[in-house]
Amino acid sequence: MRVLFLMIKENTNGNRTAKWLMIGPPLLFLLIFFVVPSLIMIVTSLRYPGEFGGLAPIITPAGKVSDGYGLTLEAYQFLLSNSLYAEIFLKSFGVAAVTTLICLIMSYPLALLITRSEKRFRNLMVLLVVLPLASNFLVRIYAWMIILGPESPLSHLINTILSVLGVAPLTLLFSPFAVLVGMVYVHLPFMVLPLYTNLEKHDPVLLDAAQDLGATSWQRFWKVTWPLSLPGVFAGSALVFIPVLGMFAIPEMLGGTGDILIGNLIKDQFLGTRDWPFGSALSIILTLAVLSIAGLTAWFTRQSGGMKYAE
Amino acid sequence: MSFQNFYVTMFVAILSFSIPFNTSGSDQEENTNSIARKENILYLFNWNHYIAPGTVKRFERSCNCKLSQNYYSDNEEMLAKLAAGATGYDLIVPTGNAVDSLIRQGALKPLNKSLLSNFKNINPTHLNTKFDPGNIYSVPYAYTLTLLGFNQEKMHDLGLPTDTWAIIFEPRYLEKIKGRVTVLDSQRELMAAALRYLSYSANDTNEEHWNQAKERIIRAKPYWAAFSNTSYIRELAVGNLWVAHGYSNDMFQAALDAKRTGRKFTINYSTPKEGGVLALDSIVVHKSGVRTDLAHQFINFMLDGRNSAELTNLIGSGNPNMDAMKFIQPDIIRNNAVFPDKDSLAKLEMLQDFDRNQRRLLSRLWTEIKLR
Amino acid sequence: MRNRNFRLRIVATLVYAFLYIPLVIVVAYSFNNSRLNAEWVGFTLFWYETLFNNKEMLVAARNSLIIALSASILATALGTMAGLAIHRYKLKVLPIIVLSPVATPEILLGVSLLLFFLQVLNLTLGMISIIIAHTTFCIGFVAIIVRSRLQGMDWSIFEAARDLGASPWQCFHLITLPLIMPAVVAGALMSFTLSIDDFVITFFTKGVGEPILPIQIYTMIKTAVTPEVNAISTLLMLLTLAMIIIATKLDSGVLRGEVSR
Repeated sequence: MRVLFLMIKENTNGNRTAKWLMIGPPLLFLLIFFVVPSLIMIVTSLRYPGEFGGLAPIITPAGKVSDGYGLTLEAYQFLLSNSLYAEIFLKSFGVAAVTTLICLIMSYPLALLITRSEKRFRNLMVLLVVLPLASNFLVRIYAWMIILGPESPLSHLINTILSVLGVAPLTLLFSPFAVLVGMVYVHLPFMVLPLYTNLEKHDPVLLDAAQDLGATSWQRFWKVTWPLSLPGVFAGSALVFIPVLGMFAIPEMLGGTGDILIGNLIKDQFLGTRDWPFGSALSIILTLAVLSIAGLTAWFTRQSGGMKYAE
Repeated sequence: MSFQNFYVTMFVAILSFSIPFNTSGSDQEENTNSIARKENILYLFNWNHYIAPGTVKRFERSCNCKLSQNYYSDNEEMLAKLAAGATGYDLIVPTGNAVDSLIRQGALKPLNKSLLSNFKNINPTHLNTKFDPGNIYSVPYAYTLTLLGFNQEKMHDLGLPTDTWAIIFEPRYLEKIKGRVTVLDSQRELMAAALRYLSYSANDTNEEHWNQAKERIIRAKPYWAAFSNTSYIRELAVGNLWVAHGYSNDMFQAALDAKRTGRKFTINYSTPKEGGVLALDSIVVHKSGVRTDLAHQFINFMLDGRNSAELTNLIGSGNPNMDAMKFIQPDIIRNNAVFPDKDSLAKLEMLQDFDRNQRRLLSRLWTEIKLR
Repeated sequence: MRNRNFRLRIVATLVYAFLYIPLVIVVAYSFNNSRLNAEWVGFTLFWYETLFNNKEMLVAARNSLIIALSASILATALGTMAGLAIHRYKLKVLPIIVLSPVATPEILLGVSLLLFFLQVLNLTLGMISIIIAHTTFCIGFVAIIVRSRLQGMDWSIFEAARDLGASPWQCFHLITLPLIMPAVVAGALMSFTLSIDDFVITFFTKGVGEPILPIQIYTMIKTAVTPEVNAISTLLMLLTLAMIIIATKLDSGVLRGEVSR
């Protein structure tokens, strides 16, 4: 640390050193432990699957026909060969978007209430949102299987109401509805936390000023609170939307016979079909799609000036 | 600062949490002999709950070593990890087709039969499989059947047969049990069932036959509740499911759970008359292991009838060990779905691995099945 | 204002109920005298007894806690830097590199790190490799939340400090860090829980020696859930709760952007 101090002092402005002290460590870490492994996977997507799993050698072994060795675009061609895969992509993005929206609608009032609560309660309230994550993921999902099961009180209640209305009984478990419940349940805290850390810093003076100017509480929300909270909304949405796309355990456990998402498809390539090249190709396309969505969102908000309050 | 406090508190908590481990007598012994311990560990890559805890203790006493287990819940998990180059496992317990892959990748060490005096206990029926002729690399450990588990009373009340794959493929039966059926979330297992139902081999690679099987599956799919690899055990025992396509030892568990918790129904299971899949798990020695001596000691120990029987009594797995029969509970031996008779056995097949093009094609069929 | 909070309170109560109803089941069934847990049979401490006799499980829990703490400390430090850097310096490549691990499916991350550790670094897998792997995917979570906290911050105070001759380090330590503290703590909490719960990446990057909790639980559940798993989940929640409460008692400003020294 002393050395770092000296470095900073020696530099008249300290700006450049400070910049690289800040950028350097995370950049270096991710370059080594993310970018290099990712390059391996990009190459993987261009190889052939091994006959018994893993990957076929790039260099044709002596005495073998060259077919099935070396580099190929086969995995990508296979991906484009059938509209099935595009369908699954679209479906997964749909599920992710709906999950994100529900999480946002549920989290916003909660985060707002926490910021408006007395200071001594705030820690506890935030803590109560995070605590469920400390229990095991699968155990929580199993609890939902019990709640949504056909003989559960909830199922009985809903089906009693439905039968009064003359509607055929529903099964809650093993359905797209159950998948959505699971997705929202698991990702909700990731929406609440960024929203809270954003809302918490807002200056109450702004709201008071708006009130003095005669704004109703509804107007105050849409004109002051909401625009200021947009960075939090975007951060929370990213932390829900993106992980939902890779999720496979929830559709597997809570879903019915048609609930396959892109996460399941990718998992299947590595832990089922032993087709690493195709699995890598699917993952790379997914990551690129997510990054372009993130990029487009950032560009769009800049263009439309949505962030002008925030910046 | 608060943030540091948070972590200091956590570390203190963990330290205090770990104190009990270091004060117990056996651990102290292990700690003082840390070098000796390092040399005397046998690493076993195994399914969870696939060896009785008592067996482990007795083995550790007999070899004066420690058995360290790593778990997988699917052959493919283990194969993927090894394919990436993971090392350090002395022993693995793969299923037949995975044994095949490991042998062909050159990942296994040949066994030294002279160290396996109990090898003679293995029933010859389970030796000399296609995967390892002459059992150069593998010793049969236990087996399971893929079959149908069902709610006995419910099926009787509905007047449904329980000895045929038709129950999960034919709409005329399925409409009585709609939403109360699950099938395995495994492309190979489900295709095998459909292929057997169509009187083809489970290892059939004819694309036309695959398409026929796919049609059967898609036709039956609306009646199924879900694809399930694990949850059917509990759901059957609770009464939420009436029929499940699954593994014999899981059905054994479900039946036991239903009985012990005093359900008003019984869970039963049987192999369909069209035949099904037999999965033989074998012990093999991985080439990256360093303790080949302990590995052989362990294999020979598990070949002892008494030790082998403990697993069967615990999880209801099939047992290839003839010497184990006298130690196995009689009701398990009598169960034709655990120990199939000659006729049933003749109709069971072991799954073989497909080549990469077939795997890719099957994977696409599977995606289609899931999406439609 | 009062009326508005009242409505918020109703919604918030419902959300808390949604979060806690499954946990009530998890906790209740850890005391239930039935392996199957289909209905309430009777109170028992049997599953806790089983758990405390299962040394492998306890060692696994300890290992997982050590991994989660180390990974979350590392990820929080690096992620905070990344968040600050993205905000301060408009470096185009950094946001992409930081966001990508979050956007990469777990399995791919697990397999790619395994290949990298074994075939490029020639590392022996163990606790270290798991910590590195967990840090890699947690950095993005921390960075995103820190960045969102920084957006819209008033930088005049920062510049004033610089004008008064504060070094960048002083500026960071005395001004920036206190301002972003709630986001840093939230990021740390997220990393901690992500790490302690991760099965896929842990499975691929773990070595042969040490039992890890998510692996134990996951492979155990494959052969039906036993209430023992409920018991360990209950204990983990209690432990986390206790640690956080003690820590926040020491300084209650932790999640409120105030710092006491």
